[in-house]
Amino acid sequence: MLTKRIIPCLDVKSGRVVKGVKFQNLADVGDPVELAVRYEQEGADEVVFLDITATIEERRTILDVARRTAERLFIPLTIGGGIRTYGDVKETLRAGADKVSMNTAAVDNPALITETARDFGSQCVVVAIDTRREARGHKVYTRAGSKPSGLDTIEWAKRVADLGAGEILLTSIDADGTTDGYDLEVTSSVADAVRIPVIASGGCGSAAHIEEVLTRGRADAALAASIFHYGTMTVGAVKDALRRKGLPVR
Amino acid sequence: MLPLTLLDYGVGNIHSLKKSFEQAGAQVTVETEPSRILAAKALLLPGVGAFGKVAAQIAPFRSELKARLEQGLPAFAVCIGMQILYESSEEGEGEGLGLFPGRVRRLRHARLPHIGWNSVEHEGRGPLAGVPSNAYLYFVHSYAPSECSDPCVATTDYGGRFAAASVRGKVWAVQFHPEKSSATGARIVRNFVDFVSRG
Repeated sequence: MLTKRIIPCLDVKSGRVVKGVKFQNLADVGDPVELAVRYEQEGADEVVFLDITATIEERRTILDVARRTAERLFIPLTIGGGIRTYGDVKETLRAGADKVSMNTAAVDNPALITETARDFGSQCVVVAIDTRREARGHKVYTRAGSKPSGLDTIEWAKRVADLGAGEILLTSIDADGTTDGYDLEVTSSVADAVRIPVIASGGCGSAAHIEEVLTRGRADAALAASIFHYGTMTVGAVKDALRRKGLPVR
Repeated sequence: MLPLTLLDYGVGNIHSLKKSFEQAGAQVTVETEPSRILAAKALLLPGVGAFGKVAAQIAPFRSELKARLEQGLPAFAVCIGMQILYESSEEGEGEGLGLFPGRVRRLRHARLPHIGWNSVEHEGRGPLAGVPSNAYLYFVHSYAPSECSDPCVATTDYGGRFAAASVRGKVWAVQFHPEKSSATGARIVRNFVDFVSRG
């Protein structure tokens, strides 16, 4: 049986791991390669690096991190942040990422989804959607949650799936950094609207949150950062808790 | 040290596959040149890309490559590398090598691609020697060979059973990614290196 995936996410700035609370207040917590390997040993199903520097001159740093990680990590690695062009996708995959995640670039240039899916395969194209609850439903934000795109979240999710995305990484801006739990409503709405896997992100503070987003939220995978970095729980402990609740985990 | 030639299709991440075989004691050379691929002592067909593109790339030396494999060239094929060993695919145009009979079909599941860790049922043959049945391995694909009889030696269920591993002589093919399957994957890689090294 296909298991539900637990995916630790590392925010990386200038080659070092940080975790933003509501995308601010960054605290340095270590080397991305070492942390990724530690997560594999703990039973993580995949690892995501989100490059939050992403200035042109620092693109090299994350590619070097990808290369060093591919030497030592034997579970899938996704890299997001600062992916703007077809060339960025190609370079990031060739450096050692298994998937790339694109957000702002997908909104600005939806054809990029189709072009990269065609040449590298849908499976390596993850579209990240940052969503915020508004009076008229959930709306998509770009540029690290700072800019409203005007797009409806559910409609955009369907569209990226049609364009060739292999997965959706859905982050609730409202929930992110709160540790109060994932946004189950928007997660289940997106999971029901598309026929590609959905990774839930934003708000995780406990194993119970992960359990509810994988059941009531109908997500295929749960991404979390702070609970793993700060040692609130290990990946193994989360999986034990999910197993006790009868969820299929590795 | 086992010399392995990795056929590079020019797309995607091949580092982890190369590294995982190096860790198992092989010496891996990355090649795109048909003459050097045909001269390989043992071949590695990686698992990134689309059927049509890979079929087009091997088209110029397709019959020579098939003949080499039929004559006993050891090969390990992953994902799309496995699919190309069949006759054809619903994913795209072009001919596979036809070393295995049948057509690669789109999985019949409501949610595709099939991404993640799934259990593999098998009887410990070939790549799966020493791996418990129903062990979890990492998959990422939308197409797979649907033939679950010979040469298939392992199956997985995702909207129906498909061939998770196939073996013919010294050609081992797996639909999952051993290089992304942590310790269990490392065991499978080691099985191939040991098998070929023993002659």
